[in-house]
Amino acid sequence: MTDGDYDYLIKLLALGDSGVGKTTFLYRYTDNKFNPKFITTVGIDFREKRVVYTASNPNGTTAGKTFKVHLQLWDTAGQERFRSLTTAFFRDAMGFLLMFDLTSQQSFLNVRNWMSQLQANAYCENPDIVLVGNKADLSDQREVQEKQAKELADKYGIPYFETSAATGTEVDKAVITLLDLVMKRMEQCVDKPLAEPANGNGATKLSPAQPNEKKCAC
Amino acid sequence: MPVAEEILNLAHLTEAEREMIVEVLQRDQELRKAEEQRIRKLKTDLLDTKRKGAKSSSGRYGQHSCGRCQQPLSRLCLGPSQCRSCKHNVCPECRAPQSDGSCLCTVCVKESDLKKSTGDWFYDQRVNRFSTKQGHDLVRSSLKRPAPKKRLTTGEVLPPPPPAASKQQNGDQEPADGARLSSRKTETLSSTSTTPESAPTPELARRRNVKSSPAGSSVSSLSVSAKADSFSSHSSSSDATAPQENRSRLSPDFPEAEGMFKKSLRNRNDLVHASALDLRENGEEESSMGHRSYSVPGLDMQDEEDEDIDSLVNMHKKTVASSRRSSACTLGSTMSIYSEAGDYDSVDVSGEIVYSVSYDEHTQSLVIFIKECRELAYGDAIRGRCNPYVKCYLLPEKSRQSKRKTAVKRNTVHPVFNETLKYSIGRLQLQGRSLLIAVWHSGRLTRNAFLGEVMVTLDVRDLDAPQEECVGLVAKTASPMEACALTEHKGDLVISLKYVTPIKPTTIAKKIKSKKSKAEEGELHVLIKEAKGLVAMKDEASDSFVKGYLFPANVKSTKRKTPVVKKNLNPHFDHTFVYKELSLERLRDMCLELTVWDREALSSNEFMGGVRLSTGTGNRTDGKDGVEMDSVGEEVSVWEKMMQYPDSWAEGTLPLRATMGKNDN
Repeated sequence: MTDGDYDYLIKLLALGDSGVGKTTFLYRYTDNKFNPKFITTVGIDFREKRVVYTASNPNGTTAGKTFKVHLQLWDTAGQERFRSLTTAFFRDAMGFLLMFDLTSQQSFLNVRNWMSQLQANAYCENPDIVLVGNKADLSDQREVQEKQAKELADKYGIPYFETSAATGTEVDKAVITLLDLVMKRMEQCVDKPLAEPANGNGATKLSPAQPNEKKCAC
Repeated sequence: MPVAEEILNLAHLTEAEREMIVEVLQRDQELRKAEEQRIRKLKTDLLDTKRKGAKSSSGRYGQHSCGRCQQPLSRLCLGPSQCRSCKHNVCPECRAPQSDGSCLCTVCVKESDLKKSTGDWFYDQRVNRFSTKQGHDLVRSSLKRPAPKKRLTTGEVLPPPPPAASKQQNGDQEPADGARLSSRKTETLSSTSTTPESAPTPELARRRNVKSSPAGSSVSSLSVSAKADSFSSHSSSSDATAPQENRSRLSPDFPEAEGMFKKSLRNRNDLVHASALDLRENGEEESSMGHRSYSVPGLDMQDEEDEDIDSLVNMHKKTVASSRRSSACTLGSTMSIYSEAGDYDSVDVSGEIVYSVSYDEHTQSLVIFIKECRELAYGDAIRGRCNPYVKCYLLPEKSRQSKRKTAVKRNTVHPVFNETLKYSIGRLQLQGRSLLIAVWHSGRLTRNAFLGEVMVTLDVRDLDAPQEECVGLVAKTASPMEACALTEHKGDLVISLKYVTPIKPTTIAKKIKSKKSKAEEGELHVLIKEAKGLVAMKDEASDSFVKGYLFPANVKSTKRKTPVVKKNLNPHFDHTFVYKELSLERLRDMCLELTVWDREALSSNEFMGGVRLSTGTGNRTDGKDGVEMDSVGEEVSVWEKMMQYPDSWAEGTLPLRATMGKNDN
């Protein structure tokens, strides 16, 4: 798997309450299989998948170049006791799958907390995130309505997907959307400073992390 | 940079959980390693593209030639053909149109591609938040903290460091070699200090030193405390140094054990040297550097003892400059490969050479069997004589130590040598190297004449099954470029720059006007983190150090040096140079030169590569310190980022240049 024959190594990370289905979601995505048993993740794990990414042209015309992307998908334990460990991995990821369980109102309420964890521990204050409501197949047990979740996602300005690791619905789409966001940000990071070297604020929306730094400079 | 010690409290995890997590980290490590190799390859590619470009970024070239290939430009296409990033005018061949109608030159395109594919775009962002420490490192080092009760038995509890995959996270390239080294060091240790369980000991010492835990108490006395001392003195020097220092100091072993171990051993070695054995070493570099900076951290490290190094730098620059003038090669100093005077042009190369190359695992050496040559040209055509011999270099090393010669065969153009030439070298050190096998005519009274050569790349060869090969000799002219390519890759230097803004002039400063100018000047902090993939100058790994100069020099000397890191081609320096009383405006016109040197105890130090950081424009001539601001690529971007974001670290991994020569055109 790790033969180095790829163009980009992109590191994504799934987070959310315990039992929302992060591990099964990733298992579905990488192996297209479903394991209904609940085995709690010990701290941290990751899976890998090689995908071909087609850059969409900025002017919306035909598809642009294609790249081989090696995805490293970090799976984190939702349990509180692993919290300090898992948050330490946030800083190594380029994009995030923030997951909750559509059949658990509490897991949805906790999205807020996860968001602030991310803001504090990711590589920058506004990293690329996709909100994922999992277990969409269990419609009879649903506690979170789509509208609710959508509103929250809009508030944060992030995409929202209702997925099912059991059936595979929307799983790929959620990951690919996140990958697309990360790839776009990458382009932006690289091109912006190049295009406007005189502009003091090269990496436009990414710079807010900076003022924090001043505090601890001595 | 304040480094509150970052350690997670993971004491509540069970052993089984720890093991599982460590396993995951291990897998991650493997992925990182593969990634590291991929990136190295990419960076080499960039160098290739760059090498083709003849102009540096100094912009002193005529407007009417292409900034990359130097072909004359048609006057008509001047406007739109300027690269919007490096501002060179480039010809259609060397440019890539962008979607917005502007254009970029091939080198800049490649550079931005590289930024994406290496993930540098991401790391550049993150460094503003977390400086250097990566999450997995943090977890790893935190995990290594033993559960409280088990304090004394860490060595047993932790899984033994796997030999290869572990090591430093930057993926040491020579696992086998590293292992060899460390075992050698273990010997040194046990012979000098004698602790049976040598592995846990430094760790204990460290822990005791760092956190006054009761740990070390039961472990035997002398050696431990000696180490603890050396450690604390060492750490005192690093208060200006940033987080990495702390990481390596605080993070007990497992994958990093080796690095750690080496580190403490290094200090141990220092002690030994200082106490007695090696006078030479004592008088030079090591002790003067080491001790002074260890004990007096704030002291400006302007030492006078090593003028030899400076003259060497200058000499190096001069020789390179002159060799450039004479050779077609723009970047390298390949002429110096040919140490002996000789004619290259006098003979029309012909004939072939029969040889085989293999690696002898048993003796750890590269074996070159030179069988014979056929139909050589006459070295002395007038008299119809030829006394051929074969000379071999293991590139990129071009020193005498790398030279091997066969005997001279008299009066023949079909010499049969049947001679074996050997290099004792670790197998993994052969990566990226190649053999230059040249045939020469030995003129007894006349000059030696070059009869042809072959270049053998060792990377792509099967060295286990030696095969006799018969290869046609080629003339010199073809190879300088190639040789450049080989000498070009000298490894990378990882640094961080930070401009520390002065404290805002307060009301007091306003009152006292004379004070004000002083207050406007900040400091430049240069953190020399590590070098990666240095190319060994001799058989074993080099003892390296980094030297820095800031040009143009003001009144005081701007020379700074790191301590020497022994026997490591991926040395971690974690040392900060501080330049004071600088304003941002002045930095814009300044140039920071960092060079890596192989410290030779018994001869002059050898140059291993360097970088030059500046805005990449303009030319500073300041008496004899004249230096050209010919920075390119990351050398420019890191410098600019440093100026753009004062008070935060701008990190960069810079490919080392093979020469620091100035352009003469």
